[in-house]
Amino acid sequence: MAPNRKLLYKADVNRMYDDRYQASQAEKKERLFIRPSRQRKMKNAKWFAVGMGIDLPFCIILLILLTIGTIMMFSASYAFAYYTQGDSYYYLIRQLIFIAIGIVVMGAASFFNYNKLHKVAPLVLVFAYVCLLIVLVLPAGEGGVKRWIPLGMFNIQPSEIAKLAIILFFAHWASKYYDKMRLAKFSVLPGVVIFGSIAMLLFLEPHYSGIVIIGMLTVLMLYIGGMKTKYLLIGGIILIGVVLMLAVTGGLSYAMSRMDGWGQALEYTSEEMWQTTWQTRNSLYAIGSGGLWGLGLGQSRQKYLYLPEPQNDFIFAIVVEELGLIGATIILLIFALLIWRGITLSLRAKDKFGKLLGIGLTSQIGIQVVLNILVITDWLPNTGISLPFFSYGGSSLIMLLGQMGIVLSISRTANIERQ
Amino acid sequence: MEEKKTKSLFPKKHIDKGPNQRLRQRTAVLIILILIVGLGAALLRLSFLTMVQGSELQEKAVGQQLSDTVLTAKRGSIYDAKGTVLAESASVWQVVLAPINFENDEQRKAAAEGLSDILELDYENVLEKTKQKNYYTIVKRKIEVEQRDQVIELQEQLAKEYNCSNVVQLLDDYKRYYPKDDLASCVIGFTGADEQGLEGVEFKYDSYLSGVPGRIVTAKNARGSNMPFQYEQNVQSEDGNNVYLTIDEGIQSICEKHMAQAIIDNNVLNRGVCIAMDVNSGAILAMVTANGYNLNDPYELPADVEAKIKQLPENEQGEERSKSLAAMWRNKCVADTYMPGSVFKMCTASMALEEGKITDSSRFYCSGYMRVEDADIGCSVTSGHGTQTFLESFCHSCNPAFIQIGQLVGIDKFRDYYTAFGFAEKSGIDLPGEAKDSFWPEGQMGMVDLAVASFGQNFNITPLSMLTACAAVCNGGYVLQPYVVSKITDARGNVVKTMEKKVKRQVISNETSKKMCDMLAAYPEENGVSGGQVAGYKTGGKTGTSEKIGVTKPQSSFEKDYIASFCGIAPTDDPQVALLVFLDTPDGGAYYGSQIASPIFINIMTELLPYLEIKTDYSEEDRAYLNVSMGDYTTLSVEDAKKQAETDGFEATVVGSGNKVLSQIPAVSSQVATGANVVLYTEGVQPEKVTVPSFIGCAAYEANSIALQAGLNVSYTGAVSSGGVATAQSIAEGAKVSRGTVITITFSANTSEGNSD
Repeated sequence: MAPNRKLLYKADVNRMYDDRYQASQAEKKERLFIRPSRQRKMKNAKWFAVGMGIDLPFCIILLILLTIGTIMMFSASYAFAYYTQGDSYYYLIRQLIFIAIGIVVMGAASFFNYNKLHKVAPLVLVFAYVCLLIVLVLPAGEGGVKRWIPLGMFNIQPSEIAKLAIILFFAHWASKYYDKMRLAKFSVLPGVVIFGSIAMLLFLEPHYSGIVIIGMLTVLMLYIGGMKTKYLLIGGIILIGVVLMLAVTGGLSYAMSRMDGWGQALEYTSEEMWQTTWQTRNSLYAIGSGGLWGLGLGQSRQKYLYLPEPQNDFIFAIVVEELGLIGATIILLIFALLIWRGITLSLRAKDKFGKLLGIGLTSQIGIQVVLNILVITDWLPNTGISLPFFSYGGSSLIMLLGQMGIVLSISRTANIERQ
Repeated sequence: MEEKKTKSLFPKKHIDKGPNQRLRQRTAVLIILILIVGLGAALLRLSFLTMVQGSELQEKAVGQQLSDTVLTAKRGSIYDAKGTVLAESASVWQVVLAPINFENDEQRKAAAEGLSDILELDYENVLEKTKQKNYYTIVKRKIEVEQRDQVIELQEQLAKEYNCSNVVQLLDDYKRYYPKDDLASCVIGFTGADEQGLEGVEFKYDSYLSGVPGRIVTAKNARGSNMPFQYEQNVQSEDGNNVYLTIDEGIQSICEKHMAQAIIDNNVLNRGVCIAMDVNSGAILAMVTANGYNLNDPYELPADVEAKIKQLPENEQGEERSKSLAAMWRNKCVADTYMPGSVFKMCTASMALEEGKITDSSRFYCSGYMRVEDADIGCSVTSGHGTQTFLESFCHSCNPAFIQIGQLVGIDKFRDYYTAFGFAEKSGIDLPGEAKDSFWPEGQMGMVDLAVASFGQNFNITPLSMLTACAAVCNGGYVLQPYVVSKITDARGNVVKTMEKKVKRQVISNETSKKMCDMLAAYPEENGVSGGQVAGYKTGGKTGTSEKIGVTKPQSSFEKDYIASFCGIAPTDDPQVALLVFLDTPDGGAYYGSQIASPIFINIMTELLPYLEIKTDYSEEDRAYLNVSMGDYTTLSVEDAKKQAETDGFEATVVGSGNKVLSQIPAVSSQVATGANVVLYTEGVQPEKVTVPSFIGCAAYEANSIALQAGLNVSYTGAVSSGGVATAQSIAEGAKVSRGTVITITFSANTSEGNSD
C-alpha cells in the first residue's frame, strides 16, 4: 500500500510544476468562483479550522438545507406522530438528536485526514458485505422486507453502508490504478463483480432502489475514475436493449405492475392494487393540491393520514403541497448549489483520491434527490429512496452528515491551492 | 488513437495531465447529467403535476377528504307585499354514508338492512352504496323527525353490535313549505329535490334564493375521526336571500276565491285568469291562474284528471301525466296567448283619439254588418245600432263602428300603436316562460285583417300584455314593465335589490288618457251590471267575448269555443288598479263576457276597493244597502234608549220590565243594515231564541225583510246593490240564535240578463 501512496503524492507534486496545467488551473479558478475578496475571507475563517479552513459556502448551504429539511420534516410528521405516537413532537425531537450527533460526526470527519481512508476502503467494503449478509439472516421487518439491522436506538441500513463503501472503494481503486483504469480488467471487471454481488444481496432483501443507486454510483465512480467511454456505451446499449426487449415482449408492463403498481396510481384496476398504490396516489394528490404557491406552511391536508409516513420518503410531496411549485423549485435550486459547490471544490482537491471521493459523495446526494422526486411523482417505482436532509431517519442522517464531513475535510486541502 | 500513442511514448509519471483533463470533462458531463437532466426532469414532472394536472388532482384530493360536512344553505323565504310568509324552508335531515369506514361485509349488510327498512328504500340499492369507497354518499334526503330518531337508534345499534361507528351520519337539510298551499301557485312556483327552483319566482329568482352551500374541510382525517387541530378551511354556508312579492295575500285570496267560484259556476274547461295591477307602477297585486295547485304537493293532479289518466293504456299514462302536470303548472297569465276581443277596443279608441281622427261631430253608422272588401262582418246586434257618436259606439261595443275607426287610423298607424302598446314585445315581467304574441307580419296585413283587429280578433297576445296596455290607456299613456318582486333582502334583512317602476314609453298623451278614462267609466254607467258597475265606486272597463279560432272541434257544448273577458280600472277619476278577468272555454249557461266575466269583476272589485281603501261614492239607491254601526243604548233609561234608537234609524224592542237598559243585541258597533231591530234587555232574562231562515238567492231588500220578520238583523257584504243575490250566510239555516242576532249575508253579482257585447 505504502509505495503506491507515495507514487500518488509524487504524481500530484509533479502536476503542480506543470506550467500548462498551472496556467489552465489559474484560468479555471478565475472563471469558476475564486475572487480575491473571497480568498481573503477564507483566510480569515481559521477559527473554524485546523490548518486550512473548510469550504464555508458548502457548509452554509448544507446547514440551510438541513434547517429547511428539519422544519418540513416537523410539519410533515406532526399529524402522523400525533396519531401513531400520541405526541406531535415525537419525530422532531428524535431528528434533532440525530442532527446533533450528525453535526458532531461531521465536524469530527472534517478534521479527519481523509487520506487515511485509503487504507480502510477495502475493509469498509468487506464490512458492507458482512452487514448485507447479516440482514438477510435476521427476521424480516415491516412489509416482509429485510432492510434494517436493529441496534437499539438506531437501525442500520446495510445498503447505506454499501453506498459509502462503493464510493470509497472505487475512489481508492481508481486513484491507485489510475494508469490502468482504461483497461477492462481494472475497470469493468471489478465493477461488474462488486456491483453484481451487492445487487444480488440487495435483491434478496429486496431493495430495488438500493440496487439502482449502487449501480449508478458504480458506473459514476468508474466513469470519473477513468474507465473507457466505450465500455460505458456498451453497457448502456445492453441496458437499453434489455428494456426494449422487455417492452416488446410485454415483460416491462408486467414488471411495472409487479413493482407496486408503478405508473398505475390514479387508475382503479383492483381493490388490492388500489391499496398498494395508496401511498403513491396520495403523494400525487398532495403535489397536485400544492399548485404554484402551495397551501401554506403547515396547511397540508394530505399529511392527515392520507399519505402514510409523510416524514419519510414521501416528505417532498408534503413540501410541494405546502410550499407549492415555487417552494419546491427553490429547494431544488439549493440542492443544485450544494452539489455544484461540492463537486467543484472536490475538483480542487490536491490528490486524485480526494477528487474522486468528493465527487462521488456529493453526486450521491444529487442522485438520491433526483430519484426521490421521480419516485414520489410516480415516474419510478415506489421503493424507498429517502430525501437527503429532509427524510426522517437516524442512521442514514448521521451517515449522510459524516459523509459531508469527509467532503469538508477534502475542502480543507482544496483550499490550500488557493493560497 | 492519440491517447494510445501518448501512453506508449511517456513514462507513467508524465501522463497524468491527460487523466486530469479527462476527469474535468467527465465531471462536467456528470454535473450536466445530475443538475440539468436529473433535476430538470424532476422539476418538469413537478411542474406538470402542479400546473397541468393540479386542479384534477386537487379535486380528487378534496374528494377523498370530503368526509367533511357539507353545510346546506338555507333557502330564502318568499313574502307577500305585507310580509306574510308564502314560502319558507324548514329544517329536516339527510342520511349520509361514509362507506369507506366499513370494515367488513357484515357491517355493510347490517347498515343496508337497517337503512332500507327505516327509509323505505331498496335493499340492493343501499347495499351498493355501502360498497363505495368515499366519505360522502347521500342515502336519503329530507327525512322528518320520526325517521331521524330511528336512524339514531340504528347508529347506536351498529356501534354496539358491529363496532361500526362513523358510517351512518345525519346532516342538516331543508324542506320547502308553502304555508298557503295553493295561494298564488302560478307566481310562486315550487322547488325540486335539491331545493332548486322549478317554476315561477322560485325558478326566476333561484340564484338569489338558493344561497351558497358551505363546507367544513377541517373535520376528518383519513381514518374518519376528528382532527385534533383547528383547521382554517371552514367555508360557512351563506343563507339565501328573501324575496318580497308585490302580490298582496289579501288581494290574491279575494281574486282566487271569486275565480274558483266562477270556474265552478260556469263550468270553465280551460281554466281562467285574473290579474290585478297597480296602474301607476306596474306592480302586480294579484295574479291568478285558476285553478291553482297545491305547492306542497305539486305532483298531485286534480282527482278528475287523475281518473282520466288511469283509464288510459299503461304505456301512455306516464306521458299523459307529465303533459297534465306541465299544463297544471303553466302560468296562463303570461305563458298563454288569447284573442282579446272587444276589450281591445279601448286600444283602438285610444289610437283614433291620439291621432286626432275623432272629432265631436264624428258619427259612425251601423246597419248590423259591414262589408270590407269581399267580407261581411257582423255586429252583435243584427238589426244595427244606427247612427252613433264615438262614445255611443264604444258603449254599444259596436263592431262596424270600430271597423270604421280602425280604417280612420290606417294599417300602418295601427301597427305602430300595436307595437307601442307593448303587444309586439315580451312584457319583461320577472316570471319564467312568457309567451310571444302572434300578429300579421309586416306588409301582410290587409283591410279585412285591420277590420277584425280593430275589435281584437285574429291576433294573439298574453293576458298580461292586455292588462299592461289597459294600464297605459288609463294612467296617462305610460307603458310600464310589470313586475312581481318588489325587493330582495339578505338573511339579516339588509336590502340587496329593490325593483322600481320602469316606464318603457309613453304611447298616448295624458289628455287622450283622460278622455279614455271617461269612456271606460261610461261603459258601466251605460250597461249597468253587465258592464261591470260596482256600487259605491267609479269603475270603468270593457267586456270582451272572443271566438277561439282554429278550434276544429269545440270542447264546449256551444257552437264555438269562447273566451269571456273583462278588463277594467278603478276608480276612473284617479285610476289605481287595473283588473283583467277571463274565462277560457266556459261551458255553463252563458259565454258572453258581459254575462259571466263582468260579475267576477264586480265581485272582486267590491272587496278589493275597500281593501285598498279607495274612497266611496254611493248613489242614493246604493245608500239603502249600506251597513250602519249599531249605537250604544246600555245604561240609558228605557225611554231615552228608545228615543235614541229611533233617531239613529233603528227599531227598538224592549224586553223585561226594568227602567234601565242592561244589555242589547246586536252588540255595540256591529255593522247592520239600516232599519235594524235592536233588542234592549232591562232585566237579566234569558234571550229569546229564534230560528234562522235561508237567505240564499234573495236580493238585498228581500233578505232584510225576511230577517226582520224572523226577528234577526242582517249585515250586507259583497255586491249588494248591483243586482247581487245572496250566495252565503254567516249562520246556517235552521240554527237557533238569540233574537236580534246579526247575520252576515254575502251577495254576488250573478246575472245573465246582460246584453251581448
